[in-house]
Amino acid sequence: MSISKTKDLLGQLAQLERTVSEFSFDELSADDAKILKGSFNTFRASLENHIYKPKKGAVVSHAIKASNDENQEISQKQFIAHISHEIRTPLNSIIGFANLLNDEKLTSGQHKKVDAIQFASNTLLKLINEVLDYSKISSGVSNFETVDFNLHSLLKDVMFLCETLIVDRKIELLVEIDDNVPKIIKGDPSKLSQVLLNLLGNSVKFVEQGFIKLEVFSKASYDNHCVLEFSVADTGIGIAKEKIDTIFKRYTQAEANTSSKYGGTGLGLTITKEIIEKLKGDIEIDSTIDSGTTVTFRLPYTIGKNIGFSKISKKPYKNLKGQHLLAGAEIMVFEDNQMNSLLIVEQLTKWGCKVHANVSLTEGLEILGSSNVDLILMDLKMPNQNGFEVSKIIRTHENNKIKSTPIVAFSADFTEKDSIECKTIGINDFLLKPYSLNDLMTTILKNKKSKVELEDFSSILQKPMIKPKETTVVDLNHLLKDCFGEIDMLNELVKLFKLNAIEFIGNVTIHLKTDNLKEIALSAHKLKAGFAMIKADGMRKLIVDIEASCKANKVEKVKELYEVFLIDYPVLEENLTAELTVMNKK
Amino acid sequence: MSKTVLLADDDQLLASLLNFRLKKGGYVVHHSANGKEVKEYLKNSMPDIIVSDIMMPYCSGIELIDYVRNELKSNTPIIIISSAGNEQNVLTAFELGANDFITKPVSPTELLVRIAREVEK
Repeated sequence: MSISKTKDLLGQLAQLERTVSEFSFDELSADDAKILKGSFNTFRASLENHIYKPKKGAVVSHAIKASNDENQEISQKQFIAHISHEIRTPLNSIIGFANLLNDEKLTSGQHKKVDAIQFASNTLLKLINEVLDYSKISSGVSNFETVDFNLHSLLKDVMFLCETLIVDRKIELLVEIDDNVPKIIKGDPSKLSQVLLNLLGNSVKFVEQGFIKLEVFSKASYDNHCVLEFSVADTGIGIAKEKIDTIFKRYTQAEANTSSKYGGTGLGLTITKEIIEKLKGDIEIDSTIDSGTTVTFRLPYTIGKNIGFSKISKKPYKNLKGQHLLAGAEIMVFEDNQMNSLLIVEQLTKWGCKVHANVSLTEGLEILGSSNVDLILMDLKMPNQNGFEVSKIIRTHENNKIKSTPIVAFSADFTEKDSIECKTIGINDFLLKPYSLNDLMTTILKNKKSKVELEDFSSILQKPMIKPKETTVVDLNHLLKDCFGEIDMLNELVKLFKLNAIEFIGNVTIHLKTDNLKEIALSAHKLKAGFAMIKADGMRKLIVDIEASCKANKVEKVKELYEVFLIDYPVLEENLTAELTVMNKK
Repeated sequence: MSKTVLLADDDQLLASLLNFRLKKGGYVVHHSANGKEVKEYLKNSMPDIIVSDIMMPYCSGIELIDYVRNELKSNTPIIIISSAGNEQNVLTAFELGANDFITKPVSPTELLVRIAREVEK
C-alpha cells in the first residue's frame, strides 16, 4: 500500500516536472512570478513536513502545531482529506467482503465473527468520515441543504440506528417528542441526523447501564418559524465541570485515557458544535461525574408545508428486502432531466422492472394502451412538458386501461397548491426529492396496479418477463455440474468469484489514477476465467475488451468500458446471488 | 497408492474447483499460488504430475518447466494451463519439455482425462 502510494506520488511529480519543463517562463509577469514563488514555497514546506515528520501520531500532532501557521493548516487539511480517502478505498473492500460473507450460509459462530468485522469496520469508516467531515466543514467546503423533510421519521431512523449500536448492554432507549413539534420542517436533514447520531453515539459509548433519552420540544414559534430544542440525556460516566469547555476543542477528549477505553477521534463534539453554529443554533452541556450528561441544542427551522399525503414517510422495508417483489413490474417514467432519468431507469432495471422512459406523450399513451404498465412515475416540474397536464390527459383518456394506471408524482419542491392540484387530477401518491431507495420502492409497491405475488425468485427466473442486459446474465448450472452437484462447493466458488471481482474493482480504481494499463490488463486477464466459469459470457466479453484496450494503450476506451462494468456488475452479482439462492433451496 | 498432483495456479477460484475435482478423482493435491513456493516444494518432493498456469507470480509456468527439466533433471509430466491467444507460449512450453496443455476456460473433466493419460503412461 505505502509503496504503491509513493509510486503514485512519484508518478504525479514526474508528470508535473514534464509540465514545468514545457512551460514558457519568459511570458511570466512579475506578479505571476511572485504568486508562483509563493505557492512553490508552500508546496516545498508541506512536502518536507510530510517527508521528514510523518512518524506516529502524525495527524494529531500536526493538528496542534498547524494552528500556529496558516499555510501548514491548509496543507494539513488536505493531508487529512487525502489519507481519509486513501483509507476509505480498502476499507470499502473490507465492508464489502463482510457483507458478502454475511449473505452466505454460515454457522451462528461465524455470523458473530462477521458481525464483529462489520461493526469494527463501520466504526472505522465512521471515524474516517468524521475526520473528513471536520476538515471539510472547517475549510468551508461542506454544503448545507434546505429541503422539506419529515422530522418524526428522521428521529425514528436515528433511534433505530442508535439501537443497533447497543450491543449486549441493558440500556433503555427513550424518545419523547412534544405534541407541538411540527412534523414537516425545512432545513438540512442529513446534518441534523449527523448531530443527533454524534450525540447519541457518544451516549452509547459512555453509558454502561441505565438509559439514553432523546427529547424534542418546540421552544418558540412565530408565523412559520420555530426553534426546536433537542436534548440527549444519559446515565453515563459524565464529564468533570472544568473539562466541559475543553471538550469542544478539536482532537481532545475529557481524559487523556478516554480514547483508549472508549475509542473515538475526539472530533465528534467539535464537528457537532461547528455544524450547529453554522445552522445558527447553540449547544450546551450539563454533566455530573458518575451520574450522567445532558447535551441540549437548539436550532431554528422553518415549518414545512404539510403536503397532504400522509404516506411520505413510512416504515421502510427492511434492508430493501422487498425488492424482488418489484421484479417484472412495468413502469413508465416521465422525467425530462437526462441524469435523473438515467438514474431512476438504472435503479428500476436493477430491481427487475421493465422501464419505459424518455417517451413523448403520444408514445407514452400508445404504450399504455398496448402493454400492461403497472405504474407511472411523473416528474411534475419538467421543463418541456407540464407533469400536471400530462397526468390530466391520462386521467381523462377514453381508454379505461390508460385512465386507471396509477400515477406517482415526484418533485423537488411541493406546495399546498400542488397538493390540491394532485388530488383534483387524481394522482395517487407523491415522492419528495431527494427520496431514498426505500421510499421509491415502497411507494411503487404500494401503488402499482398488479400485485405480483412472488414468494421466491424461481418463478421469476423460469419466466423471465424482460430480456436482461447481456452483460448481466449468469448461468450456474454448468458450474454446479462441475461441482458434481455439491451445493457447498458451488457456494464456495461463487464466494471466491465475488472476492475476485471486488479485488478487480479495487485494483482498477487504484491503477486508473496513474493510467497503469499494464496492471489493469493483468487484473482483467485474471478475472476472465471466473466469468467463464459462471457462464457470464457478455461480461466476459467486456473484460476481454478491457484487456485488449489496455494492451492497445487506449486509456479513454478502458475508462469507458470500466464505467459499463461498474454499472452492470452489481446487477450481475445480484442475478448470481438470486440464482444461487434458488439452487440452495432445491 | 494415490497419485500426487502439484497444482500451480494463482487463480484461487479455478484452483479451488480443480482442487475439489482432483481430490474427488482420488488424487492427493498440493496447491501453490506462486512460483517461488512451487520451486521450494519441488526441491524436497517430486509429485507424480505437475499442472501449472503459465502466468504466475515470481516464476512463470515456462520458467518452471525449464527448472524441472534442466535443473532438477526430472521427467515428471507437466501439463500447462494457457490462455487463449497465447499460442507462442504453448510452443515454447513444448520445446522446453511440457507434456500437454489445456486452454482456458478450463473444463475440469477434460483436465482430469489429460492428467490420467499422463500419469498412466
